[in-house]
Amino acid sequence: MAGLTRTAGAFAVTPHKISVCILLQIYAPSAQMSLPFPFSSVSQHNRLGLYLLSLTKSCDDIFEPKLEELINQLRDVGEEMDAWLTDHLTNRFSSLASPDDLLNFFNDMRGILGSPDSGVVQDDQIILDPNSNLGMFVRRCILAFNLLSFEGVCHLFSSIEDYCKEAHSSSAQFDGSNNDLESLTHYDQMDMEIYAIDKATEELELQKNASGSVPFHLHTPEAIFKVIEGLRVSPKESSRTRKKITEATLVSSASSSTVEDTLVDESLFLRTNLQIQGFLMEQADAIETHRSSSSFSSSSIESFLEQLQNLAPELHRVHFLRYLNKLHSDDYFAALDNLLRYFDYSAGTEGFDLVAPSADCSMYGRYEIGLLCLGMMHFRFGHPNLALEVLTEAVRVSQQLSNDTCLAYTLAAMSNLLSEMGIASASSVLGSSYSPVTSTASSLSVQQRVYILLKESLRRADSLKLRRLVASNHLAMAKFELMHVQRPLLSFGPKASMRHKTCPVSVCKEIRLGAHLISDFSSESSTMTVDGSLSSAWLKDLQKPWGPPVVSQDSGSRKSSTFFKLCDHSVSIPGSVSQLIGASYLLRATSWEFYGSAPMARMNTLVYATLFGDSSSSSDAELAYLKLIQHLALYKGHKDAFAALKIAEEKFLTVSKSKILLLKLQLLHERALHCGNLKLAQRMCNELGGLASTAMGVDMELKVEASLREARILLAAKQYSQAANVGHSLFCTCHKFNLQIEKASVLLLLAEIHKKSGNSVLGLPYALASISFCQSFNLDLLRASATLTLAELWLGLGSNHAKRALDLLHGAFPMILGHGGLELRARAYIFEANCYLSDPSFSVSTDSDTVLDSLRQASDELESLEYHELAAEASYLMAMVYDKLGRVEEREEAASLFKKHIIALENPQDVEQNMA
Amino acid sequence: MVSKENCRNEIRAAIRQLSDRCLYSAAKWAGEQLVGIEQDPSNFTPSNTRFQRGSSSIRRRFSTNESISTPQPSVGFSQAATPLPEEDETIDGDLYLLAKSYFDCREYRRASHVLRDQKSKKSVFLRFYALYLAGEKRKEEEMIELEGPLGKSDAINRELVSLERDLSALRSTGAIDSFGLYLYGVVLKEKGNETLAIASLVESVNSYPWNWSAWSELQSLCTSIETLDRLNLNNHWMKDFFLGYAYQELRMHTESLAKYDYLQGIFSFSNYIQAQTAKAQYSLREFDQVEIMFEELLRNDPYRVEDMDLYSNVLYAKEACAALSYLAHKVFLTDKYRPESCCIIGNYYSLKGQHEKAVMYFRRALKLNKKYLSAWTLMGHEYVEMKNTPAAIDAYRRAVDINPSDYRAWYGLGQAYEMMGMPFYALHYFRKSIFFLPNDSRLWIAMAKCYQTEQLYMLEEAIKCYKRAVNCTDTEGIALNQLAKLHQKLGRNEEAAFYFEKDLERMDAEGLEGPNMFEALVFLATHFKNHKKFEEAEVYCTRLLDYSGPEKEKAKSLLRGIRMAQTGFPSMDLEHFPI
Repeated sequence: MAGLTRTAGAFAVTPHKISVCILLQIYAPSAQMSLPFPFSSVSQHNRLGLYLLSLTKSCDDIFEPKLEELINQLRDVGEEMDAWLTDHLTNRFSSLASPDDLLNFFNDMRGILGSPDSGVVQDDQIILDPNSNLGMFVRRCILAFNLLSFEGVCHLFSSIEDYCKEAHSSSAQFDGSNNDLESLTHYDQMDMEIYAIDKATEELELQKNASGSVPFHLHTPEAIFKVIEGLRVSPKESSRTRKKITEATLVSSASSSTVEDTLVDESLFLRTNLQIQGFLMEQADAIETHRSSSSFSSSSIESFLEQLQNLAPELHRVHFLRYLNKLHSDDYFAALDNLLRYFDYSAGTEGFDLVAPSADCSMYGRYEIGLLCLGMMHFRFGHPNLALEVLTEAVRVSQQLSNDTCLAYTLAAMSNLLSEMGIASASSVLGSSYSPVTSTASSLSVQQRVYILLKESLRRADSLKLRRLVASNHLAMAKFELMHVQRPLLSFGPKASMRHKTCPVSVCKEIRLGAHLISDFSSESSTMTVDGSLSSAWLKDLQKPWGPPVVSQDSGSRKSSTFFKLCDHSVSIPGSVSQLIGASYLLRATSWEFYGSAPMARMNTLVYATLFGDSSSSSDAELAYLKLIQHLALYKGHKDAFAALKIAEEKFLTVSKSKILLLKLQLLHERALHCGNLKLAQRMCNELGGLASTAMGVDMELKVEASLREARILLAAKQYSQAANVGHSLFCTCHKFNLQIEKASVLLLLAEIHKKSGNSVLGLPYALASISFCQSFNLDLLRASATLTLAELWLGLGSNHAKRALDLLHGAFPMILGHGGLELRARAYIFEANCYLSDPSFSVSTDSDTVLDSLRQASDELESLEYHELAAEASYLMAMVYDKLGRVEEREEAASLFKKHIIALENPQDVEQNMA
Repeated sequence: MVSKENCRNEIRAAIRQLSDRCLYSAAKWAGEQLVGIEQDPSNFTPSNTRFQRGSSSIRRRFSTNESISTPQPSVGFSQAATPLPEEDETIDGDLYLLAKSYFDCREYRRASHVLRDQKSKKSVFLRFYALYLAGEKRKEEEMIELEGPLGKSDAINRELVSLERDLSALRSTGAIDSFGLYLYGVVLKEKGNETLAIASLVESVNSYPWNWSAWSELQSLCTSIETLDRLNLNNHWMKDFFLGYAYQELRMHTESLAKYDYLQGIFSFSNYIQAQTAKAQYSLREFDQVEIMFEELLRNDPYRVEDMDLYSNVLYAKEACAALSYLAHKVFLTDKYRPESCCIIGNYYSLKGQHEKAVMYFRRALKLNKKYLSAWTLMGHEYVEMKNTPAAIDAYRRAVDINPSDYRAWYGLGQAYEMMGMPFYALHYFRKSIFFLPNDSRLWIAMAKCYQTEQLYMLEEAIKCYKRAVNCTDTEGIALNQLAKLHQKLGRNEEAAFYFEKDLERMDAEGLEGPNMFEALVFLATHFKNHKKFEEAEVYCTRLLDYSGPEKEKAKSLLRGIRMAQTGFPSMDLEHFPI
């Protein structure tokens, strides 16, 4: 409880501040010279001034630099007079031999301040204006020192001794060689930036003074947020399209190492509350964003937090951080323990500043937030039933205490939980639980309940102006619209219309509404900043070489990330907001891949990976990588995809519930299928099926995918009747579990099976049904490929249908060529050639180029895909055409290609060895 | 059985040695045990008897009987006798004497400075011990000086590092004695190195068992029965004291009582043993017995403050206002600034319903000793009474963080959350408390009530909890009644009848009456009637007839129905009296 109160003595004198004071004395000595002694030029003098300005700005940072670090920085700033500066600094410190010297020192400090009423100042006179930033700093130091009791002075004195001792022990190794020349050159360019940021901070400070207290930040709702986000984006949208990996790989790992550096033990000085709170928030961000990267170890954070807790047991937020840390390192019991402890101690009132303090909150505390967190924790650890119970209680308690904010969050969490939990397991739980919201809807299906919960949450969030929640609810809504097929709500009996449809317009609307957040947010950003984190970023930038002429190896991505970092400082977009916006881009990508526009999907994913890679949670980042790799596999062939996968694997395998393995299996399966290695394909398919049924429950979509793949294998093995059986049962499953969208692809598969088995008449209705499904669900790409199959079926009926097939194909061509993957395109090309060739009115000799062009295209694309079966077909056709044309040499070439592919198809073993 | 004479001699020597080394609390403890051994007939002087307890005539008679047998050498001397260590110098050095007097004046640094070049083991120990205490003193001061905006500081005993270094050097050369080992153990414990600390303390008590401070430090490190069992301790009667204490802290009260019973054979007048026995009995909720023991204890040792907070708890539980106020007044006059005294006064105000004042005194107790467990818990209770749940939760949580096995505080936490209408959240805390005390029916009943709340309404779980409560001999009889009612609610009449019958048996045995009785009788009568067991039904009905009120009327109509059914008429009463 005491952690909340900030006393007047929040600004404590520390040895570091004394060093700054000493430097200030050099900068503005009380003797009135135009240019004080050591400086040779005005610019040198100004440079020191700027440096001191940045030092005073960062004095609220949690970690103050050690003397040694300060000296190193001075070296960069002071140029030729650095030796003098450091000498002076250390001499001044060593001259402080007794507490009395400290007293005198601060008396002297008074002298460098100009008197407040001295209106007339000579031009060349250097006097610190008491109201300037530096002057204020000096005044604060003097005031803080004067407030100290004698014991306090003694403590300060002994800590100064330690401060100097540390520097002496390490400065012996330093040889003084000045190797930081680059940073010096950048330094000049930096000045402008400092001014820019300076303004922002000055404004901030003004606000702070005006309002008396800066609202600490909304750290914990943000944390809640991230947990929600992390859960939300993990699974289902993950699959279908693939993208190219660019330099983006390098982006996110670069910035994570700072945490380690700052974790130096500095128990020496007591920090102000503000500093620690700011620092803790940084740590929370770090825990959440960097939990995947290998340089970030949760144990080091843990030991640090333990230490902090020993130092300041009244600072309850540490417990929350420990909880977060344990949550991310998957330690259930410790997480639970720390969570409960946090809420026991703080009554939920510390750190949740988002909610305006109402009159009665002091009486009851805000334990409902504890319930909310507990529910989400249970969810994360895979106890959905427990989570639902706890969240139900949270709903009840927050209704009772009329905490609408918490209610809105809880409803959002609940809907998230329901939508994640899957369809099979939820109904039994909801039946027994009592909830004002859900009980009214007890007869509804889970999807409908999710929808109602989301609507409720959205309504509340909207009226409470919880922008982030509104945005994330919009995104959830978009996801809901994307995944769930609308049905007329009142459809009973056989005669009711069974028209299903999806509504891309509303998805688009929701996404856009969600993304509005950023523009809304910038208007209120100023209240959200913490000076603690702001000022710590300040000194970090000082050492970072950046500026216009950055021509380093990873220039493109790097620049954008620093750009955003800069925005972080000046406009200060909190990590959670940028995460949300990032999630909206990911969702956009998913919906595009859903509706069948690969380029748009890829573009959105790339935007995400480059702009939001830094702030994203690891599961989001992983998802983006997966999408890009999938894209790569479809459009550039498997070789590239596997190379990219390797990189992603190193990065993400440590993430819990990693989808990387899944993707790997999918890729391996496809590749094995292409190469004709059916045994391997079967193995992969089985493993995939195994992944579908976890301890948490059965992932129906994955299960369907596994059996879909199995049917493909059977098809490739020419076991038509078995494949058809699998397809039929699969269709039944889809129907049973309401997986409308999967139905379309199952129908297409069935059409495909019948086509391959030469039973075109039977295949036609399936293809047509699939097309109509695709049409009502707006699945454009799938529809194009269904159309292709339909055309193939027509051709299979006889060559007299070639014309009709060709027309169908040409109708689908724009979609296929614009958005389709390599395989689909190649198939279309081959089929086009086939159509021409079987068309009796077409003569090869007169119009050979039409056929040859498409065949060449096809075989090029198949080459990179290693799809031997189709490639063999293409070369066979080519050989035939050349034969007709009488071009023997080319015919031989095509024939040998054909032979090569056939052999490769029949001996898949050696291919597999390459793969391994 | 250890010979009393041996014990006496051992302790006498030990007291001298302990006070030579300024280990005063250990010496005090040993002194208490010395007079706890019943009187040596050789110096049986009137002044001595006055000091010894003698108010109970039974005891006096008992003691005289025993004193005859003492001089005889005891047979079956099973325990290994540890030889008393010889002092390494017979005549103390002048510097040592100076240092000891400095030490006695609490000028620790001065004392350790005087002894800087002394080589004798006693001086070396005293030097280190004085240094340690100086560091502790400075630490306490710093804690207050440095109290920063965050409520606490990083004050540590700054001597620990050098002490650890010097002592480990001494140990590696083998120049360390058992007292040095004790200090080394303490230092290691403060530095957080528990396994080494245990090893060092075990070595210390094995070579010199009479240092009670070492045993208590060792006990504080034995947080589980496994650690306790792993200790490799020599047999000595001091070990029994240790085991009794350790068992008690591990909530193995019967084992602990057995140990104390055994020890009472030798130390028949030991106040310490009596207080510890009372503590164990208190945990077993034998309040009457405990009250008698404490009364006797106070008669013999009227200015005792230790353990008196426990006595006040007993008086509180028995709602003896006058006795509690008398006790509070007495300890207040003896030593006002003892955490125990503040706690007793707090208890008194709490009993009087003046919760604000109670909180004030508990706060004072905590100011005096931040780790005073029961004050935190009791303060939590007060806050609950004052309906300040967040403060109560905070207080309970502190208690739990000091000692995670404090079931009362866990229970309090659960209660507080239940009060706030968060039964599901509260369940976790009840579970925790039950984990530490699995055979207390009150805890099970509390948990069952949680399940029974309309928010959760998990009746099956509630039934399970009540069953456990019944197995733990529920004294208040809530569980049986609730079990019957729950079964009735769920329509399982057979089970309901079973539990109503049991409940009735219990009430009969305890001679209780009340609405529960009527309810049980009415249910049973109708139940048996519906099952055509008219004889039983009649028995219950006639019992009901003894009471006046609506139940009597009901019994009459039931009886009428029974008669009708017995005579073969179609029963119509069933429709009239649906139960």
